[in-house]
Amino acid sequence: MAISKGSNNSPFPKHAADQEDLVDENTILVQRTLRSGQTISYHGNVVVLGDVNPGAEISATGNVIVMGALRGVVHAGAGGDENAIVMAFKLQPTQLRISDHITRPPDNEAIDADHPEMARIKDGVVTIEAFQTPAERQAKP
Amino acid sequence: MGEVIVITSGKGGVGKTTTAANLGAGLAYLGKKVALVDTDIGLRNLDMALGLENRIVFDIVDVTSGNCRLRQALIKDKRLDGLHLLPAAQTKDKTAVSPEQMQALCDDLRKEFEYIIIDCPAGIEQGFRNAIAGADKAIVITTPEVSAVRDADRIIGLLEAAELREPTLIINRIRPKMVRQGDMMSIEDIIDILAIDLLGVIPEDEMIVITTNRGEPVVLDQGSRLGQSYRNIVRRVLGEDVPLMSLDEEGFFSKIRKMFGRK
Repeated sequence: MAISKGSNNSPFPKHAADQEDLVDENTILVQRTLRSGQTISYHGNVVVLGDVNPGAEISATGNVIVMGALRGVVHAGAGGDENAIVMAFKLQPTQLRISDHITRPPDNEAIDADHPEMARIKDGVVTIEAFQTPAERQAKP
Repeated sequence: MGEVIVITSGKGGVGKTTTAANLGAGLAYLGKKVALVDTDIGLRNLDMALGLENRIVFDIVDVTSGNCRLRQALIKDKRLDGLHLLPAAQTKDKTAVSPEQMQALCDDLRKEFEYIIIDCPAGIEQGFRNAIAGADKAIVITTPEVSAVRDADRIIGLLEAAELREPTLIINRIRPKMVRQGDMMSIEDIIDILAIDLLGVIPEDEMIVITTNRGEPVVLDQGSRLGQSYRNIVRRVLGEDVPLMSLDEEGFFSKIRKMFGRK
């Protein structure tokens, strides 16, 4: 991997999913849609204000957040950070990688969720769940 | 000053040349002065779609390399007064012209014509870069296939990178029946991914094969739906607000009912 970092000196907070921990990191804001053939590779977090179309790729050592449809290939925690997350309003990636875990959507199931979703590593497996705001989490513990 | 419009798609065989021929002929039919430029050097086709193949003496490479004057290479259409074609060379390749030469050529054409339509070759290499070098606007063609839409998306990205903002989209060869059955991508599916303005939709029709082979642009056929769909695009290019025509084919029974004067 291009950027290697030991997990003990990782620049990322342990529970990246908690929003307050996301601040004060090296973050890039991409204010457009990434189209086929376009790539973003960044040392830090990536936030996209737009879609990530099929054929586009994002690679980040931190977290990836897409304020739109994520249909391309995404790699969060590219430096080996197991706590990195991927969040998108419409999470339909061609392939989703976190750290050295590589996943793809199941072949026969077409899941069309109409709510934001978040992917992270839970017990050594990449898990996708509905994204909940802290208020929602408190409402239904 | 004329407007330079490049017609491009990335993928081959989706209808760039046919669309260029029909858009050019349609604009000329409405009295505009139009130049069609074929930049597919080595794979010359646009002249055939217009039935002008046997009139070619000089070509685009002759003009850019100074072998002849621009006026000598422009072929006047046999039907329409305002329509002119600058054919591609068939014996050279894409490296025979540079983007700077294309820009200069477009600037020359701008002085004499109201619309300059550039037919772009397939691919994203030098032929594509030449074709877009002098353009003010871009029209992207796609068909309702995943591969064509993917390539169109790539092309839109490259156009944006080349400062050709806000390209418009033509969806070619759509089959309403297959869309209804869920077997073909719908207009909405395509717009959802590409997220650019729709300029027009062309239904699949066997007639296009016949008219293109004959070298007669179908846009001039006043009676056909296919011609109508091209004429709508022409009017939208001229800035008119034309609603999308309904793509539902007229059924056999509704035709019979019409014959008997019922609705």
